[in-house]
Amino acid sequence: MTENEPTVIARTVVRIVVPIILVTAITLLLQGHNAPGGGFIGGVLTAVAFALIYIIYGLDYFETEILGRTALPRALPGEPVEDETQQRPGVTKEFSEVLAIGLAIAAGGGIAAIALGYPFLSQAVAFVEGIPLFHEIEVASALVFDLGVYFVVVGGLLTIVAVVGAE
Amino acid sequence: MASELPALLDTAVFAALVLASGLTLLAGYRVIVGPTTPDRVVALDTIGTNVVAIAVLYALQTGEGLFVTVSLVLAIIGFVSTIAVARFVTEGDIIE
Repeated sequence: MTENEPTVIARTVVRIVVPIILVTAITLLLQGHNAPGGGFIGGVLTAVAFALIYIIYGLDYFETEILGRTALPRALPGEPVEDETQQRPGVTKEFSEVLAIGLAIAAGGGIAAIALGYPFLSQAVAFVEGIPLFHEIEVASALVFDLGVYFVVVGGLLTIVAVVGAE
Repeated sequence: MASELPALLDTAVFAALVLASGLTLLAGYRVIVGPTTPDRVVALDTIGTNVVAIAVLYALQTGEGLFVTVSLVLAIIGFVSTIAVARFVTEGDIIE
């Protein structure tokens, strides 16, 4: 990044806006079982926040600054690799792992209902009282499925963004 | 719960809804006709902003809070798309 580096304004705004987007995403994820929101839109907003980081700071920033690794040149998925020692699982591989974990959570949440003797994907809700500050919170088992959808959407969208952005 | 609003505010909200909807249609004309790509892009941005305004006004008119959530998400995505488009127009590449 030389002469087409984003301005200080863009970098500062992104630094402020990304946490706000992530908080909104988590809010939508947590309220999703009985209000507008849910796993999908939470995942979309999280992917939007990461896409904003990619747009302003570049593809390598996430690996070098946040994960603390050195960014090596890497092949795109499916591209032939000439030097195996230079090849390292890129950050896109971890995104597809997130997708797989999310799929496992969503399916596992459905199978847990079978294990308890109910039909697949049966949901329940419990009201926990006596919590300070909240007095009563609602614990819905649909949150597990929402969390799975969230990880699937985050992993899938970020894989697309990283692969298309690297081309 | 539109009846809870004062009559003047109700009229103003309705007028603003009509205005925003008409502006969206005009911006749609610019998207279709627009001679250059930046014209179309700015018109699409305008449509996005107008949809946010329509969602908030509709929330005011009906008293349904969920439309505010809709407008919040639309505003965030519109902001990011504006940045992406600006980067594409100035540098020809969005992610480097």
